[in-house]
Amino acid sequence: MGRFRKLGVAVALAAIAGTTLAACGSDDGGAAEGSDAKVLKLWHYESENSAMGIAWDKAIEIFKTEHPGVQVTFERKAFEQIQQNAGMIINSDEGPDIMEYNKGNATAGLLSSQGLLTDLTEEATKRGWDKELSPSLQTTARYSDKGVMGEGNWYGVPNYGEYVMVYYNKDLFDKNGIAVPTTYDEFTQAMDKFVAKGITPLAEAGAEYPAGQLFYQLALSKADRSFVDNYQLYKNPVDFKADPLKYGAETFADYVAKGYVSKESASLKAEDMGTAFISGKAPMIVSGSWWYGRFKDEMKANWDSFLFPGNKFSAGSSGNLWVVPTSSKAKSLAYDFIDITMRPEIQALIGNNGGVPVKADASQITDPKNKKLIENFNTVSSQDGLAFYPDWPVPGYYDVLVSGFQSLINGSKTPDQVLDAIAKPYDDGVKEITGK
Amino acid sequence: MAVTTITAGRPKSPRKSSDRHRRGVSRWIILALVTIAALAMLVPFVFMLLNAFKSPGDYSTGGPLSWPSEFYTKGLSNYWHQVNFPLKLWNSLLIAGSVAVLGVVVSLLNAYALGIGRVKGRLWIVGLFLLANMLPQEALIYPLYYAAKQVGLYNTQLSVIIIFTVIQSAFGTYLLASVLSTFPKSVLEAASLDGAGKWTVLWRVVFPNLRPTLAVLLIFFFIWTWNEFLIPLVMLIDNSTQTIPVALASLQGDRLMDAPTTNAGALISLIPAVLFFIIFQRTLSRGITAGAEK
Repeated sequence: MGRFRKLGVAVALAAIAGTTLAACGSDDGGAAEGSDAKVLKLWHYESENSAMGIAWDKAIEIFKTEHPGVQVTFERKAFEQIQQNAGMIINSDEGPDIMEYNKGNATAGLLSSQGLLTDLTEEATKRGWDKELSPSLQTTARYSDKGVMGEGNWYGVPNYGEYVMVYYNKDLFDKNGIAVPTTYDEFTQAMDKFVAKGITPLAEAGAEYPAGQLFYQLALSKADRSFVDNYQLYKNPVDFKADPLKYGAETFADYVAKGYVSKESASLKAEDMGTAFISGKAPMIVSGSWWYGRFKDEMKANWDSFLFPGNKFSAGSSGNLWVVPTSSKAKSLAYDFIDITMRPEIQALIGNNGGVPVKADASQITDPKNKKLIENFNTVSSQDGLAFYPDWPVPGYYDVLVSGFQSLINGSKTPDQVLDAIAKPYDDGVKEITGK
Repeated sequence: MAVTTITAGRPKSPRKSSDRHRRGVSRWIILALVTIAALAMLVPFVFMLLNAFKSPGDYSTGGPLSWPSEFYTKGLSNYWHQVNFPLKLWNSLLIAGSVAVLGVVVSLLNAYALGIGRVKGRLWIVGLFLLANMLPQEALIYPLYYAAKQVGLYNTQLSVIIIFTVIQSAFGTYLLASVLSTFPKSVLEAASLDGAGKWTVLWRVVFPNLRPTLAVLLIFFFIWTWNEFLIPLVMLIDNSTQTIPVALASLQGDRLMDAPTTNAGALISLIPAVLFFIIFQRTLSRGITAGAEK
């Protein structure tokens, strides 16, 4: 009894002590525009040993030497936390002065339309960011007053890019005497040969993003820029029953019928697809550059990548953005920091660690595999070939696509039915956004 | 202290040994079933243990079921340093401990008023508490956020402590109020005849009788609060104020996951809760069987 009470009092006291201390600690005043701010509160959610994590650590170091007397309080956040609460966080006094945030209408677009992000247009022209980023990279940095990406003011600055490509296991190709394809015809022929040997050539994951991205990638082979603009930026209505989307769905069904993609993959997750490739069970996957670092660390077999053969367009976009919340107390320091991350040495550091820098000088990249990754990206980016992701246009579309292509993989729906199923939510969503 | 032993309901028979033989087969079946159930419950833990000591490359090559090719402890140390585990542990202990104690105190006071004090409309009040307990936290989160911001408690542990004290004590009040409404009237009358005031009755008569139940509530409140994710995630935005479940979530990226490190993190994060459970396990079983005395 006595012990019980004592414990209770101790805990309650500790609670009060702890919270008052925390309250004092977070109470640091700062100037409004913040050129004389002494603290830069910086958040991002890249892991410590990832390309971005390494490069940004270096950027922080450079920032510190160039701004003596300014303290950088960096916190590595959980992706989940930023994804769920960014709006609430930066709508308070407790938020960061600069942070990494997801690109896209539902994230950066939404917050910018609510007035929670600082307009960076002036800085972008002054510091030349607008010339350093290709048009398709700028698309995700600029948002209209309704929060729709593509045009309008700058609300974020991307440091890195990402794109969907084909990863292949060289050893498996050699062992089965199959040549690495360079054209789309060779690509399907190679898959036929694997099927003949009883190997499923493409690992897929119907329960998550990969299936939708493969569909989009296939559709893009028949697409031009106006399709991408219509689909992603709502310039004109999109007909789901015509090419390129019709072609994408039908070819996808064809892949399943021919055994390029296993029917069992309907319920698999992206992680399963990745580990199937790493462990050498699958000769190829069609997926994004975010796997690159992991394959490099963990895969024992020889592997490499090539752009999806025959496509001018690839799913892909800029990476996440640096944004400056309206509540930032050190805005000009934040701009300085962004500028440092765009410098060649930081960009090269991203590239040399297996990331895809937005303005890389490929000659600065030493590792041949990294170099190829970046050259391929530069190819896509320079021909304005980044087509974003299929689930971007309307909120909640990700789940629509997942369930649509799951039923295409397991054969419960025809391509025609799948197209119907994914067209309606798209049309409804676009109507809601554009008001037409 | 309340009587806590349960005596077997069956009368003791002199033919005890033959009884045991007669029930031999069914006993073995039950034992086997219990063993299977126990093993089935252990399976996730075995997987966690197995993968906590596996290198990421090993995991990706061999899958989650394979035996680790080396004893890899970097996942554990990485997690420990990356999230600054001792700090998170302290935050979790502070929040869960405070909520457990405060929640029990508030529940007891509420329940005393409702169950013994017989406040008017107590059925409605208890119903309201139950409703508050059943509301999904997602529905509460925005109001809570704005309220916390207005009073300057956003991003402090105190905000989480207050919120969970209220949420947990809603359940506690509901439970204790129904327990107390069956509290023997004669005992209370005897106490007041002896000149005990309301306060004295609470602390000298009701509290000692309720102690086992309160101890169970305390443990439940602690464990429930320990495992809470959404409200701490929203309310505690600084790394220095966060709790263990939030820290665990920081291992999951946008499109990539690091299964071995997540397993290692889960393993470390589980230990305090398991220790807590082992220490208080006796109290728990005593409290649960407390009702059997009548």
